[in-house]
Amino acid sequence: MRNLLRRHSSVFLLGGISLIAGGLVRWLHGPEGFARALGVALDIFLAVLPAMLAGLLLAGSLKQIIPSGALAKWMGAESGWWGLGVATVAGMATPGGPMAAFPLVLVLAQAGADRGALIAFIVAWGLNGFQRVLVWEVPLLGADFALLRFLCGLPLGFVAGWLARRVPIDWSPPDTGAPPAAPAIGRRA
Amino acid sequence: MTPSLILLFLVAFGAFGLALRRGVPTAKRALRETGQSIGRVLPLLLVAMPMAAFLSELIPADIASGWLGVESGLTGILIASLAGGLIPGGPYVSFPLVLSFLKAGAGGPQMVALITGWAILGFHRVIAWEWPVLGGRFVAVRMLSSIILPVLAGLLAAALLPLFPHALPRP
Repeated sequence: MRNLLRRHSSVFLLGGISLIAGGLVRWLHGPEGFARALGVALDIFLAVLPAMLAGLLLAGSLKQIIPSGALAKWMGAESGWWGLGVATVAGMATPGGPMAAFPLVLVLAQAGADRGALIAFIVAWGLNGFQRVLVWEVPLLGADFALLRFLCGLPLGFVAGWLARRVPIDWSPPDTGAPPAAPAIGRRA
Repeated sequence: MTPSLILLFLVAFGAFGLALRRGVPTAKRALRETGQSIGRVLPLLLVAMPMAAFLSELIPADIASGWLGVESGLTGILIASLAGGLIPGGPYVSFPLVLSFLKAGAGGPQMVALITGWAILGFHRVIAWEWPVLGGRFVAVRMLSSIILPVLAGLLAAALLPLFPHALPRP
């Protein structure tokens, strides 16, 4: 039971907010307002569902055909704009939530990627991750808006990486005792 | 069936075809991955959709059309950037909210700034994940180099918006 709660904590949390917000709507706007809002939700759900299924099939297939690793060696301190570009593409290709992405950043850091590339990676993952764009943004907000938003996000990883190489704060990757050049990510080194 | 949906299905089947060419086990893994994702995403969608619809009934219309409206300009972009950073949760929270804001009259550049703020600054994510895994100094470097990005994205969107006449969904 506790396991079930933990695994689906987001669902329960959102469901709870839905119930409270729905109760408030019914109280403030009456049954008609409540029914109207539910109708809107159903319309959007039905409009979004097919695109989301296609997006999930695409993400699931891409994950099998694109190797996720072998990029850290192109992301060192001397890598310049090229390194930021590699980091941006790698970040966009990285699926999954923060529980997967931030440990991967640590792995890249220990494999020799510099802070500019790491930050470009984080920005590109958070903002333009293909999976999130395909599964959530295109179905919900439409292809035109998603493309506009994606284009506006594309240069940001470069800007952040360039700035990060100039921020006067010392930082070195946390040492977890792992050998520094271990090809730990991906299936192929 | 909109053209973009047809295209998305074609690309998805194309990618699945490539996985199939790698062999049946690869294709099976892709399908299993897809099935697991559907099992994870569908319940979230089922509760997030009513939530966003109810919240948009409750949020006063003048927040979307005033503070973040088409006319709000740079001030609206600044507000949206900060507000984005404060939205907790994953894409199942932020994107339905943005959709209801857009339908209530929010401006495109402001919503681009909001999504960018949520994705890059997302303070809850920094506190829960980035700080513990990468340490406070790294977070300081990243925040200093990222803090202006949502505003930059909003300004860029304002410049590019004329090229995307169908970008804003309207009721």
